[in-house]
Amino acid sequence: MGLETSIATVKPISVGMGQMAIAKRPGTITSVLGSCVGIALFHPRTAIGAFAHVVMPSTAGKQSHPARHADTAVPHLLQALAEQGATTFGMVARIAGGASMFGSGGPLQIGEANIAAVRAALAAVRIPIVGQDLGGVKGRRVTFDLTTGAMTVEAVGEAARTI
Amino acid sequence: MMQETFEPALEFLQQLFQAATAEASVAMRRWTHGQISLDLNGVQELPLEEVSTAVSLGDELLTMVVLTFQGEVGGDMILTFDENNGRQLAAALLHRPVSESPEWTALERSALCETGNILSCAYLNALTRFIGVELVPSPPYFVQDYGASVLEQALMVQAAQADRILICSTTFHREGEALNWNVFFVPNVAMRAAIAAAVEAAS
Repeated sequence: MGLETSIATVKPISVGMGQMAIAKRPGTITSVLGSCVGIALFHPRTAIGAFAHVVMPSTAGKQSHPARHADTAVPHLLQALAEQGATTFGMVARIAGGASMFGSGGPLQIGEANIAAVRAALAAVRIPIVGQDLGGVKGRRVTFDLTTGAMTVEAVGEAARTI
Repeated sequence: MMQETFEPALEFLQQLFQAATAEASVAMRRWTHGQISLDLNGVQELPLEEVSTAVSLGDELLTMVVLTFQGEVGGDMILTFDENNGRQLAAALLHRPVSESPEWTALERSALCETGNILSCAYLNALTRFIGVELVPSPPYFVQDYGASVLEQALMVQAAQADRILICSTTFHREGEALNWNVFFVPNVAMRAAIAAAVEAAS
């Protein structure tokens, strides 16, 4: 799946690695994140939102699936939202994930790199990050609620939190 | 640069991992007094975007034992159980009733980790014979987390360099009945290259 082209309103959409989806009120989008970062963009006036499950920081110039990399996922989400009438003006972002699941001593600290790349990609298009839940060593289950734009984050042994 | 696809060699790899799984199954039978055996689900090479659907770990919490094969030629092995199945295995190995405590005791964790050790050694022996490189597993560690998030981390090294992911998955049986346990073996880039070279030399 590259992008869910139909706008889901009721059935929750599950977004796996490198996938993206778009939905509107009262829909929900769910995902499980480890070192990947989930980007939830929400346009409050139209109550349309989109979510990308970003796996790697950058395409490094290679042609690839747009949702897989932070540098291509953000523009692709914005384009999909624009086609549904949601402009960048007023758009907000919530991001979660970027854990170091196998500890932080190894050479490939992909979680941290993903966080930095997602922040840079959002800054480049001037979309504010209004909520974030990042880093650590645990996986996260996130639920993006298109009624409110909020994202609920669950992690093992911790109380669920809403950002 | 890593070979982009294993497609032509998949049948060969299937046979290799079939043999490795058979060794692991013998070890597992011995460890569980003949109760539990393994079968290879398959060796798959698929786009990263299809992994979540193909392995269907869902979004529930799982109990896992993770082993990392250290060194340049390496990878990760992840043994997954749902809570109920993990408890049952620990109880069977320890000859005790199934625990109802929410916390896993050190002994229960150790029993599952030892299971990971036994399986990984069986796989590594088969792989070492084939690719001619000595593989050294890390001590196993016990983790309770979302299965998809742990598998995601294991896939990162391959995802950084290839569009398609090579993954081997195995399921368990108790007296013919399928159990909700899985083993995933994810080679790193150097092991993929070593396997590819060995496949080429053997064909």
